[in-house]
Amino acid sequence: MVRTVVGRLALLALVLGVEFVVLEAGMRWAGRSEAAPGFQALFMQDPQVGHRLQPGASTVYSTPEFTTALAINAEGVRDDQPIGPKVPGERRVVILGDSLVMSVQVSFGETFGERLEARLQAAASPGEAWRVINAGVQGYGPVDEWLFYRRVVSRLEPDVVLVVVFAGNDAIEAVDKAAWIDADGPPAVAATEAAANSLRRVVRSSMVLQNVRLRVDQLRARLTTPGPERPLASYLADPPEEVAEGLTVARRAIGLIAASADADGARTAVVLMPARFQVDDADFGRLAERARAAGGELVRDAATDRFRDALAPLALPTLDLLPRLRGEPDPVGLFFVRNIHLTVRGHTVVADALHRFLADEVLAR
Amino acid sequence: MVFTSLQFAGFFVVVYALYRVVPHRAQNWLLVAASYYFYAAWDWRFLSLLLGSTVVDFVVARAIARADDAGRRRRLLWVSLAFNFGMLGFFKYFNFFADSLVALFATIGWQADPVTLQVILPIGISFYTFMTVSYVVDVYRGEIAPAESLLDFAVFVAYFPHLVAGPILRAALLLPQISQPRRISRTQIGEGLWLLAWGVFQKVFVADNLAPLVDEVFGGGAAGGGDVLVAVWAFAFQIYGDFAGYSNMARGMSKLMGIELNVNFRFPYFVTSPQEFWRHWHISLSTWLRDYLYIPLGGNRGSSWATKRNLLITMVLGGLWHGAAWTFVLWGLYQGLVLGVARTISEFGRPLTRTWQRVAVAVLMFQVTCYGWLIFRAQSVGQVAEFTRALLVEPRWTAGALDTRVVPFLLVVAPLLVVHGWQARHDDEAAVLRLPRLWRYAVFGMVGYLVLLFGDFEGAEFIYFQF
Repeated sequence: MVRTVVGRLALLALVLGVEFVVLEAGMRWAGRSEAAPGFQALFMQDPQVGHRLQPGASTVYSTPEFTTALAINAEGVRDDQPIGPKVPGERRVVILGDSLVMSVQVSFGETFGERLEARLQAAASPGEAWRVINAGVQGYGPVDEWLFYRRVVSRLEPDVVLVVVFAGNDAIEAVDKAAWIDADGPPAVAATEAAANSLRRVVRSSMVLQNVRLRVDQLRARLTTPGPERPLASYLADPPEEVAEGLTVARRAIGLIAASADADGARTAVVLMPARFQVDDADFGRLAERARAAGGELVRDAATDRFRDALAPLALPTLDLLPRLRGEPDPVGLFFVRNIHLTVRGHTVVADALHRFLADEVLAR
Repeated sequence: MVFTSLQFAGFFVVVYALYRVVPHRAQNWLLVAASYYFYAAWDWRFLSLLLGSTVVDFVVARAIARADDAGRRRRLLWVSLAFNFGMLGFFKYFNFFADSLVALFATIGWQADPVTLQVILPIGISFYTFMTVSYVVDVYRGEIAPAESLLDFAVFVAYFPHLVAGPILRAALLLPQISQPRRISRTQIGEGLWLLAWGVFQKVFVADNLAPLVDEVFGGGAAGGGDVLVAVWAFAFQIYGDFAGYSNMARGMSKLMGIELNVNFRFPYFVTSPQEFWRHWHISLSTWLRDYLYIPLGGNRGSSWATKRNLLITMVLGGLWHGAAWTFVLWGLYQGLVLGVARTISEFGRPLTRTWQRVAVAVLMFQVTCYGWLIFRAQSVGQVAEFTRALLVEPRWTAGALDTRVVPFLLVVAPLLVVHGWQARHDDEAAVLRLPRLWRYAVFGMVGYLVLLFGDFEGAEFIYFQF
């Protein structure tokens, strides 16, 4: 009896093992996922910042919606050229933010940063040269941005620092890393966590395991978080306490960036980036229904309004992109269908808005 | 509370655990309470309709059985039909007919201003209404005895696995299983778990992964004839995965509870004629339409033209059953015409004897079915015309379509077809359970991996909930 059961389990394990290998090979061959080794190689662990872009890395990232060549320069930001020392007459704008700034969905020349640079350059005085640096990193929130600014970006000698706040999840992400501000970085890895780290490395090396981990995380979040899913928390009519806490942490982190930039002679401004459903009616309807089913009421612009109010004491020039994006004809086409990021047209609209904002409210001061 | 949600998983585990430990009558009380809770989780306000339908049809059917006078029996039947179809008609078609009437008047220059109510469609009303109607008609025809117990009848109507999207069950099949104590065999548990897993696979892997391919094109994105063709193929498998997946989950859960529901889909895309298609697709609806509409209309008892007329009426009404929209009427009309043409061909044609002939005709039949799906999925009659034109005179692809549409479509559909091919070859949906252990584990592993890695658990509700 026992031998039979053991034999069957061994056979099942063998079958699952063979299928695992076949799936892993198939997924690696197809790529098409952020879990693909080529995409993962764009990132590195940094004991001072947490994670950041790997200097010199490059890959071609392909999904059903786009194919993009991605290059990280020697300074560790998305650019196909090194930044190098400032030359006379050069003025630099650094854009901090998350995946909405990094924009792996479009080619480098089509990002709103590059388009902004072209617009600034076209309007530049003789002898003046503009450089816009895309310092967005996938997965960043305000705390990561502060650490990245302090350790990496400040060395790039910016004249203007634009902090792009993603209203959707920046407050929630700030809560998780609140302690990193006072610790001046992520917590050191204890020896006892070495095994866990090894496990993480194994998981990171496999596309199948990364997908499994994602499922486990989703399931855990569903089981441990009552009410609507966590990324929607900032939009709820009655948000959990951690949203207010996250807004406080975000204000502190952005305040630190502004103070540090000020000490370096740079100006700081805030850009509020909405979530796709704030401009896409059908998307909002779907999410509102899902939130309602989970016992919450979604208020479409609540996160943007809350961020604006929370950051008001910093008295920084602020651009809210929501009215501009929502006012566009066919606003649905500003974002990709299958992910929440800006399309080429979306980048053009944002670049136009940023150009006007910089001219009117940041550089004019 | 969709079957693939965590909420439903918790609900079913609790209900099933209790179900296994309580005696028969308590099981029925449990099923009716669980079913009402399940329905109320969608919208508690419509529970009154469900209760009303249950009480009215229980009382009327018993009165019909007691009545000796044929006239009284007929009047009672009309009471039930008027109640059920009145309710269905009001909730499902009021806005459609009011809007259509206003549009019609506008074309002749009249400005009609009817009272338009914001009528919300109660979920599952089309399914449970057809069930209760068939029950009362069967009692009227003397084919079954009326239910003895209101509790048993309430379980029959509200039984949660089939409540919101079928199968449309017959009282002759389900009522005896409800009124008699149930025994759950090991075979039922094995088959139930397989059907449950296979249904989840069909829904979250097949249907929900094909949905974006379909939505992009039917949502109005740039598309040539090639894109439309793949989107329609994708929709054929999306709606199949969605609906057959739901039916299989319903049957799987029922088997676990010792209740057998009828098969609702039998490999409908492997068929070689429209008649065969309707014997393999949404079987519980097509047999309902056959028994309670087509045959009473005269069926095939008259001339060839009368048969074709009856088919057309049945299919148009079947189309309208799916929803209050002209595209559904057009779809029904198309299906009726296709059945009529196929009937004419079969009067002259020879049977298909060779495998290659059957394969070639099955591929052709799939295209005929798909054109019906184009009409069914289109957002308007105008879009039907636009896409038909694209298919016929604009055979082009948008840039990158091979990568973004064709390859994802094939990757999603291939595992489904492999398993279906095996099942169809043995004409046994549980054929997988009879494979040698190695291959059985391979299928279980594949289904598990694909659901875990690529299943879309954030996906939309089941398509047939809206009907």
